[in-house]
Amino acid sequence: MKISLNQLKTYVDINVPAEELCDRMVMAGFEVESIEKQGDNLVNVVAARIKKITKHENSDHLQICQMDIGKDELVQIVTGAQNVKEGDLVPAALDNSILPNGAHIKAGKLRGVDSNGMLCSGEELCLTEADYEGASVYGILILKDEYAEGTDMREVLGLDDYIIDFKITANRPDCNCFLGVAKEISVVLGTEFKQPVPQFKTSGGNIADFIDVKVENYDLCPRYIGRVVKNLRIKQSPVWMQKAIIASGMRPINNIVDITNFVMLETGQPMHAFNYKELADKKIIVRNAKKGEKITTIDGKDYELNENMLVIADGEKPSCLAGIMGGKESEIEDDTKDLFLESAKFRRDNIRHTGRTLGIRTEASGRYERGVDILNVEYAMNRALQLICELDAGDIIDGVIDRNDGLPKDKILTVETAKILELLGVDIPEETVVSILNSLGLETVVNSGVLTVKVPSIRDDIEGRADLAEEVMRIYGYDHIVGTPMRGEVIRGTKLPERIKSDKIKSLMCGMGAYEITTYSFISSSAIDTLMLDKDDERRNAIRLINPLGDEYSTLRTQLTTSMLTVLSTNINRKIEDGRFFEISKRFIPKSLPIDCQPDELPQMSIGIYGKDEDFFTLKGIIEEVMKLFGAHTQYERSSEPYLHPGRQALVKANNKPVAVFGEVHPQVASAYDIEQRVYVAEIDLNVLYGIEKRKTVYKPLPKFPAVERDFAMLCDADIPIGDLEKAIVSGSGRLLEKVKLFDVYSGSQIPDGKKSVAFSVWLRSSEATLSDEQIDGVCDKIIKNLQKIGAVLRK
Amino acid sequence: MKQQLETIKETAKKAILECENERAIEEIRVKYLGKKGELTAILKQMGSLSAEERPVMGQLVNEAKQKLEELISQKSNELKAKATELKLKAETVDITMPAKVKKQGKLHPLNTVLNDMIDIFQSMGFDVLDGPEVETDHYNFECLNVPADHPARDMQDTFYLGENLLLRTQTSAAQIRTMETRKPPIRVICPGRVFRADEVDATHSPVFHQIEGLVVDKGITMCDLKGVLEQFAREIYGPDTKVKFRPSFFPFTEPSVEVDVTCSKCSGGGCRVCKGSGWIEILGAGMVHPNVLRSCGIDPDVYSGFAFGIGLDRLTTTRYKISDIRLLFENDKRFLEQF
Repeated sequence: MKISLNQLKTYVDINVPAEELCDRMVMAGFEVESIEKQGDNLVNVVAARIKKITKHENSDHLQICQMDIGKDELVQIVTGAQNVKEGDLVPAALDNSILPNGAHIKAGKLRGVDSNGMLCSGEELCLTEADYEGASVYGILILKDEYAEGTDMREVLGLDDYIIDFKITANRPDCNCFLGVAKEISVVLGTEFKQPVPQFKTSGGNIADFIDVKVENYDLCPRYIGRVVKNLRIKQSPVWMQKAIIASGMRPINNIVDITNFVMLETGQPMHAFNYKELADKKIIVRNAKKGEKITTIDGKDYELNENMLVIADGEKPSCLAGIMGGKESEIEDDTKDLFLESAKFRRDNIRHTGRTLGIRTEASGRYERGVDILNVEYAMNRALQLICELDAGDIIDGVIDRNDGLPKDKILTVETAKILELLGVDIPEETVVSILNSLGLETVVNSGVLTVKVPSIRDDIEGRADLAEEVMRIYGYDHIVGTPMRGEVIRGTKLPERIKSDKIKSLMCGMGAYEITTYSFISSSAIDTLMLDKDDERRNAIRLINPLGDEYSTLRTQLTTSMLTVLSTNINRKIEDGRFFEISKRFIPKSLPIDCQPDELPQMSIGIYGKDEDFFTLKGIIEEVMKLFGAHTQYERSSEPYLHPGRQALVKANNKPVAVFGEVHPQVASAYDIEQRVYVAEIDLNVLYGIEKRKTVYKPLPKFPAVERDFAMLCDADIPIGDLEKAIVSGSGRLLEKVKLFDVYSGSQIPDGKKSVAFSVWLRSSEATLSDEQIDGVCDKIIKNLQKIGAVLRK
Repeated sequence: MKQQLETIKETAKKAILECENERAIEEIRVKYLGKKGELTAILKQMGSLSAEERPVMGQLVNEAKQKLEELISQKSNELKAKATELKLKAETVDITMPAKVKKQGKLHPLNTVLNDMIDIFQSMGFDVLDGPEVETDHYNFECLNVPADHPARDMQDTFYLGENLLLRTQTSAAQIRTMETRKPPIRVICPGRVFRADEVDATHSPVFHQIEGLVVDKGITMCDLKGVLEQFAREIYGPDTKVKFRPSFFPFTEPSVEVDVTCSKCSGGGCRVCKGSGWIEILGAGMVHPNVLRSCGIDPDVYSGFAFGIGLDRLTTTRYKISDIRLLFENDKRFLEQF
């Protein structure tokens, strides 16, 4: 909340510079968003007297002025304004000056004549009538003849104020006003707080003859106070009031509207003034709107209401959206004669809900949402009447209407001082605790170590000892808290097994040259379409955000591949030659749609690679290493993911459970990501990997006897999988097999069409003895027979 | 014969000394010491000598043989060394040529920093937990002392997924799940991804990361909170780092504080990084609100605790002086390579 420092000084003695005040308020829990010294944006502009005016030869409207700026020599300035005459005192922006609108003024030539600055209008100096009389006049601002030539305009305008923007935390709605902040300042500085005591005169009559007020829903409106003011004398409000309102970011309108706004800014309690004449049947009814009822608000917008919304209605129709905005019809205008003035408390969640539904947020609704004090409702009303009286804005009719459902009693807390200090760990003298609480308006007495604290309703954020501890500490000073090292038995903390395992995968992936990426958990609603999945693919059943930041971020992802493709695309299109990337994140699978419970959050790893040295098999290599890390027994099967190349993709099974799919991305899919080269992706279901019980590593003795290597070169049909040939060799070798390795696959010249030549090296070894020729020949025979069975013939 | 032996010896010696390569020296060895060599020939003539001469002559021949062997081996070693030297010289490489390396990848900078933090807190006895990203209103708000009409709900614009279901706005939700399943003493951190409806710009992201810390035990005070955060700050920012508490408000802690550390760039003197204040805000913390303890079935009259939430993304961007948070989610390889 922005507040004028000069205004604050009317309630509390501030005996420190503005900057120090801010620092100390920060340490008491009031963050300062900004501090703005008035006049900081008005530099090198002075009051100057026009000594002589001559016509500009090359222009009909320009005039050349010789200006006295209090120096020996006159300064020549060209102006286009016509409202100046010789002898006038005007604001002159000199060479190298800065105006509040951000303009930098420099010396130059206007149609060939030197001009060493600019004469300023009120508008150019961002002034209103409240700042200086005559500021709204079209043309140059003519100053009163009471300043010496050369006086800085900041002095002329009395710009000695600071505007401080305090960030008020949500627990302190009572500080969304001048008085709340002033009260805190008085405690922080230890100076006197002077709260205005409202007094006003009434002019007879009886309110009951003027208005009938009925509250139909005390739940949503716990208190409603009304007064009637007759014979309004509407005019401008005084400058001091206008300045305070402007400093807080509002606009002065007229004395009545300004009083309601000023009282809201001062006390935190929103006020509303109705044009009495417009209230049908002379009735005020606080009720829920009827479905379909309409209102036009003072900003001229039409709204259709529903039964959850609270309105202030007259005998016929809604006249005001309770706590949010008044109706156009009952608005106070310059010729309004009589008014009905409202000060009320509305339930904050209802105001919040209505405001959200209709998309309206005002100074008033903001305060109601945070909560207003039920007792302050009355104080604010009286303060407004005092101002009406003081400013002679109207005649106050005798009598007040106060509808409420009972007023709260002060809350009494009893807490042991020791319990408060225990939470803080700081030894604060009891009398200091008591005096801090009292200074904050929390009346406290102490009796053998037990505090009895009377909490006024305006501080309903205070519920118990923790709140009292905070109140004491923020005033006593957080600097008194001295860190103590961790106590108790300290043994190293543990990690969840999943985290340990994913850490291992990550370090393996990094070791294989892959970079970890981080992408958003939500994707666009159409991203999934790029994968060309079947209509009934379960990955299409994604959870949608109700209030996304836009379609781009609207859908919780059910797979990580689309995000990976985006990253690959970014890198490829930035001409980065190659890359290996991985991401471990969650995919969100709803148990039903629309969701009514938390979805499954399944840990997944996606891999994406591209570049001239990458192909299906380098990706297969990466996957094999990951599987090996978990000791998984893997099998590869052909798969049919629509987003992958139909002939270059595989399903991986770990211990017979599907664990991964990988392959080359279908060119059509790649193209949707502006990728015009081969890229390869994989998705690995980490829950399957995490579930594998890895056998404990047990040392195997190193071999004592030599191995025998035999090569097998064979010819077979081109479509026989290498894996089948390998299986034939493995089963033929039995226990003696140490290693089998493919070393050549060839088709082409010298090989018949539809055939291929394949060669393996096979290592045999026994742990018990050197292999005999018979044993070796026996194994070789079996291998050859097995190969023949599946159609592979040994080449000579 | 003696004369003959002398001549052989001298000629051989000369030949050995003049010899220039290993093959030549081998030839010399064969010529003199081989089966058909000249010294062997002299030995064969020994039969013609008298019994007295024979041992004398035998000794002379053996001496000569030994001498020659010695010379040959010496020369041979010399030549070998020379040959090796020449070979090595010829093999000189240009050490400025590029290295051959199997390139390693890198963890994402967020996780590099996270791992450092996990390590620090583990060493202080914190267990590292995890929690769901899709939360219920109950865990994300209600149990954290933010009832439905509470103004604090405006502090964090929430992404909703359905009636009472939302993307968690803070890892504090994990506090509750922890306190429901564990009994004091509790000492945990819960790192994770959180979501808020912030439009994307250089300093805001709708997806970001937090590390929630929670300690609950008998007699835990604000001084304990400061002690833990001081140790953390010293390990992250350097041993001279100081920690300052500023009062603040969070619904789930009371008292609540914002925590500042001395600026690591200027050590508190004031610079551009800390906007002249000498301090950088790093996290929010406080004593666990009694209502929160109560909602988890922990008696606030017996136990107290503290909680803190650290913004990982902020910490990462400050550590590496990354000017735009969007870089963290863009994943340009040239960016990822740097950490």
